[in-house]
Amino acid sequence: MSDVPFKNPGWAGNTGEYDLTEDQVRGDEFVGTRPIEGGHPSGSASYPYMLPDKDPEAPLFEGPYKDRFEKILTRYPNKQAALLPTLGLAQEVRGHVSPHTMDGVAELLGLSPAYVRGVATFYTMYNKRPVGRFLIQVCTNISCNLCGADDVMGAFLRYTDTELGETSEDGYFTVVEAECLAACGFPTCVQINSRYYENVTPADVPKIVEHLKAEGAGGD
Amino acid sequence: MSDTPSNTITLTIDGREVSVPKGTTLLKAAKQVGKDVPHYCYHDGLSSPAQCRLCLVEVEGAPKPMPACVTQAMDGQVVSTESEAALDMREGVLEFYLVNHPLDCPICDMSGECNLQDYVHAEGRDHGRSREPKRIFGRDDFGGDVLYYGDRCVMCTRCVRFMREVEQDGRLTVVERGNRSVIDTFFDRGLEGTQFSGNVVDLCPVGALVSKDFLYKARAWDLDHTPSICPSCSQGCNIELHTRDNLVQRLKPRENLEVNAFWMCDHGRLNYEWINHGDRLEAPLVREGDTVRAMGWKEALTALLQRLGDAAEKGVKVVASPLAPNEDLAALKALVEDLGGGEIVFRMPRAEDEIVLKGFPTMARRRDLAPNGRGAELLGMRRVGEDDGTGGLEGVSGHDGVVIVLGDALADQGPDFAAGSALLVYLGTHSGPAAAAADFVLPVTTFAEQEGTFTNHEGRVQRFWPALSAPGAARPAWLVLGALFAERTQSDSIRKADDAFARLVATHGAFAGLTYDDIGTRGALVSDTVPLSGD
Repeated sequence: MSDVPFKNPGWAGNTGEYDLTEDQVRGDEFVGTRPIEGGHPSGSASYPYMLPDKDPEAPLFEGPYKDRFEKILTRYPNKQAALLPTLGLAQEVRGHVSPHTMDGVAELLGLSPAYVRGVATFYTMYNKRPVGRFLIQVCTNISCNLCGADDVMGAFLRYTDTELGETSEDGYFTVVEAECLAACGFPTCVQINSRYYENVTPADVPKIVEHLKAEGAGGD
Repeated sequence: MSDTPSNTITLTIDGREVSVPKGTTLLKAAKQVGKDVPHYCYHDGLSSPAQCRLCLVEVEGAPKPMPACVTQAMDGQVVSTESEAALDMREGVLEFYLVNHPLDCPICDMSGECNLQDYVHAEGRDHGRSREPKRIFGRDDFGGDVLYYGDRCVMCTRCVRFMREVEQDGRLTVVERGNRSVIDTFFDRGLEGTQFSGNVVDLCPVGALVSKDFLYKARAWDLDHTPSICPSCSQGCNIELHTRDNLVQRLKPRENLEVNAFWMCDHGRLNYEWINHGDRLEAPLVREGDTVRAMGWKEALTALLQRLGDAAEKGVKVVASPLAPNEDLAALKALVEDLGGGEIVFRMPRAEDEIVLKGFPTMARRRDLAPNGRGAELLGMRRVGEDDGTGGLEGVSGHDGVVIVLGDALADQGPDFAAGSALLVYLGTHSGPAAAAADFVLPVTTFAEQEGTFTNHEGRVQRFWPALSAPGAARPAWLVLGALFAERTQSDSIRKADDAFARLVATHGAFAGLTYDDIGTRGALVSDTVPLSGD
């Protein structure tokens, strides 16, 4: 049994306990050992909470990120194969994959910029535009849709005061539609950054948004 | 059969047995029995991703339909390209292609030579069942000569693979995915600066990539296609002249694996306007004192013959052109030798460097920017002048005997060119300083208006055919020069390009053994391979 003394709100069947802070849930914004602290770099893209502050003009790559980039290169037979994790790392640093970033990554890996653009646009988890601190992805695929995903989506848009795909004025929220999040047993599923919120109903939305706002304010 | 049995397999396609080498794909094997399996993504010059799913055929015993472009033929296989199942599969695929296709054939440049049109007409449904609105992309300027209509695209990625594999400059890519996918460059960084990107327009099986130069100029079914040779450099790429209303509308590459494969460069592709240039010489012009009079051919040549013999006593100097075919140059040389001989020079612009097609490195935009410099050198003519095709004519200009100019308008020379000569004869297509100064101006045809051969940089003699009718009284130079020669030597005159070439072969060892029939549409190498001066 886990010795975590609370129910993780990301687990199925529990959407109620949003009064927990990030520290209470994870102890830190990173899970496990960060690559910066010697952890394995392959886990880099799977950490649910990445650096809260993104700098779209950050260099590709410097300091610990340079070390991670070089570690990534060692895991692949050629530079082209390292494109996906490199784009992931660039997004981690810069928050989104801009044309400027694609160009930089292409140069790093000796690929044509157009090729990098093709790959980056193929995958939906690379943000091609700047996103808010919390990227709210509402599943609107079949199961969720039958259980009212459209209403959940509408509620998120209303309570975060944004348009679909746009970022709220305070820079906290971007709400987007997602295809199936593989949580069809727990509709509606909402992915916020890398964490799942399941069985979300429109009534849950204000609580979630308030919680995130508080968390965002706390992180500044 | 020369192949050993182990290297040859026999299979049945649509009820007909066919033997092919091991490793042959079903698509190529089917071609051998005359079945052209519909396909988009497959192209002989590119890799086969088997992604268009249009070449599906039924293979007996196989659990699924097989893509003919990548499925290797196997011994004893029984393949149906036109069984009900195969037609059903392809009809289904075609229906999907039309879900988002705008069907704007009436305003599409590709209409009439479009594979989607042809295949749907042959194998598609008579109406679509999709009731969803079509997605709309509009058009995108890729830069260079290329325009992209995303709605028409069938995502075969031939263009992407051409840029990656053949030009090896990955400017194009598939952006986004699913029904949002489009071909695009890297944002506003287009195809500018590429030298072969015009080929993506030829590769496009539908009207998604079209040429800006050709846009709305002509309908495909109005064009006549004439096999020819690109006159823009010494590579001698095999091309087709597409003509309408006696004008060249566009150039397209013609397959020849030994010269240009399936490709041609943008420089050559777009360099054709000079053929259509209207300011043509249309009748023989003879200077009489201060006036110039247009004459018929017989009168003009009679007058010329009367003066030619006497004037030639002080010697003959000749300026030829590397744009002239072998036949013209040989007829010129024969006449000059009959007049007592004289030096023949030619000028040829030379580009700074070669532009090699990386994926097919035997092809390049060569430095010599004329099609027949090699032919001229093989006929003993000497190259003079600067790299921009000017100068070098001091010896000719000051000559006091006969000066003959063939094909070179002498644009860099003043009106006093060869002012001291006894007789200046100009055989050319367009007026210019040479025509202004000449005593006799004889209108001749361009390569597009006559039959003939060019010798390319490696010594390959290649034929071209007349695509346009010549303006006015213009005649091929070999006919004019041959008539003069025949009259002077009291021999039979040449009446066909074939005979002009035969006379060239008889008098020049380098061309020994060649005939028009041997050369055919693929060309033949000369026996002598003298390097071009400067190489």
